[in-house]
Amino acid sequence: MWTLAWRNVWRKKGRSVITMSAVALVVILSLVYFAFGGAARNALYTSLTEANGQLQVRVAGYRDLREFGDLLMRDAGGVAAAVAARSDGGLVVEALDVLGLLEGNARSRGVALQGIDRPAELQAAYADGWLREGRLPTAGDVEGIVLSVGLARAIDVAMGDTVYVYAPGTEGYGAAGYTVIGLLDLPSGAHVAQLSLAAAQELAAPDAVTRLEVHLPSFVTMEDDAALPVLRARLAEALGGGYDVETWRQASPGMASYLDLLGPMQAIVNGIFFILAGLLVTNTVYLSVIERVREFGVIQALGARGRKIMAMVVAESLFLCLVGAGAGSAVGLAIVARMAQGFGFPAEIAAYVAEYGFPEVMYASLSPDQLVVTVVFTLAIAVLAAILPAFTATHLEPIEAIRYTA
Amino acid sequence: MPALITARRLEKTYTTGDTITYALRDVDFEVHRGAFTALAGPSGSGKSTLLHLLSGLDRPTRGEVWLEDTRIDNLGTAQRANLRLAHFGFVFQAYNLIPVLTALENAAFVLELQGVPKREREATAMHALEVLGIAEYRDRRPNQLSGGQQQRVAVARALAANPKVILADEPTANLDSKTGAALIEHMKRLHRDEGVTFLFSTHDPRLLEHVDAIVEMEDGRIVRERALHAA
Repeated sequence: MWTLAWRNVWRKKGRSVITMSAVALVVILSLVYFAFGGAARNALYTSLTEANGQLQVRVAGYRDLREFGDLLMRDAGGVAAAVAARSDGGLVVEALDVLGLLEGNARSRGVALQGIDRPAELQAAYADGWLREGRLPTAGDVEGIVLSVGLARAIDVAMGDTVYVYAPGTEGYGAAGYTVIGLLDLPSGAHVAQLSLAAAQELAAPDAVTRLEVHLPSFVTMEDDAALPVLRARLAEALGGGYDVETWRQASPGMASYLDLLGPMQAIVNGIFFILAGLLVTNTVYLSVIERVREFGVIQALGARGRKIMAMVVAESLFLCLVGAGAGSAVGLAIVARMAQGFGFPAEIAAYVAEYGFPEVMYASLSPDQLVVTVVFTLAIAVLAAILPAFTATHLEPIEAIRYTA
Repeated sequence: MPALITARRLEKTYTTGDTITYALRDVDFEVHRGAFTALAGPSGSGKSTLLHLLSGLDRPTRGEVWLEDTRIDNLGTAQRANLRLAHFGFVFQAYNLIPVLTALENAAFVLELQGVPKREREATAMHALEVLGIAEYRDRRPNQLSGGQQQRVAVARALAANPKVILADEPTANLDSKTGAALIEHMKRLHRDEGVTFLFSTHDPRLLEHVDAIVEMEDGRIVRERALHAA
């Protein structure tokens, strides 16, 4: 039966090649689309975790606290050391978050002020990803401030201008003037300003921090991230009940949901591609059955049961799809392999996607699961596409079929 | 000796609106082992219909069909298919070989449906081709064979499965006189030397000359049965 099915596929070479090509094209699109999605997810993951770390430590119940003083970690150095000792080579960054008022040349705006000192490697990566102009404050710099582009525009200041910050602190309200030394490319609408940790502590809360970021340099993809909950649980146990240890997912649930949704959404879109290809396969197999009505009648007359005839038709459909999928996989995987070495967008599009946190160069990523999904979709359309033609073939009346002339 | 196939009070009608057409009326008929019998009559006399009912390809409107001691007219589609596969061989007017298979593969086709392993079925099919004198064409496809050669492959296909009876519906109709005569000679030899039972539907006088018995049909009835040669 397999020999018969294989030869039947090649009875109408042109039609079969077109159908196989359609299946191949869909497989290529599917693999490239999955790989691109993998690149996007990993890029967004990297972008998010480079900015804020894979883990964050704050005082327990911080989401429900309203007083600034209640949010402060008094023994930040000790906590940071304990976290660093248990985070498998992670880099611990201390940060002080203060809400304040920023006054520019003509206007004032509320601002989320971050006082933060990053290790050199993290500082360089952050600057690569977010700094549009100028430089970031160095440790101990008490005069320089970096503003988001949107905030600078809102208060009408430029590089080199002086701005004034008013913020509540542990010793009453603080106020200070800073020079704008850099501009950050953050999503429009974000009103963020960054100082050195020392400058922020001097302004609002000497020797205190509100959070610790844990950056894990070896975690570069979503797949690496699977080990994070174990690390989180270990840190939480070590620090005790006075602190909340959260993964980036818990700290940014909206972004986490978006990233998690990307995979299933891609699978749905790919499924639609395959359904469209499946319609073409159905048409091809159905035509093939109609052209062979007499032959099916003879085969039934000779004693073939419905199951055998159905198996023949399904086998033909499988051959059509598997040959197409084989060719498509070869080409698709070659494209993905090339994309895995790095790809970028044309300049106009690159500027647009950068708004959403995508870097200039992305790296395609295809998981084994996604390859399995592609294979499963191919097999599914091969079988589903054969149902109607197989039903037609098995329900022919042998005598009428034998007499049939096209 | 009990009959191989028995038909009792067979009737086959087709209804189109208010019109009832009788393809067969009240037919009683028997086929014995070793028969070389022809159903003869003009077109529309019911020859092919009777063949179809006797082989389980179709079901009668009324009456019974028995294959030895198994009643077959009331079996389901799958059961009748199994029956045809196990006990009947078919030769059609239009050869009806599978175009993408070689002569050997066509001859082995019914054996494959029966689930016979490849080596065994090819050996059996090869023997059948040799008996029909066309073993040298084993690797040719039907479009590379003449009409007579194709029909011999069809006979080999029927023969290879070792059926109880081979039903041949107008087997010589598409053949020229010389080729038709050669095919008849092959089938006679199979009957004589291998004991194969044949039941033909034909109005070819060349074939009618060589059968042992003729069953004449007209308007769906058997009008006369006569023996020509000693069985």
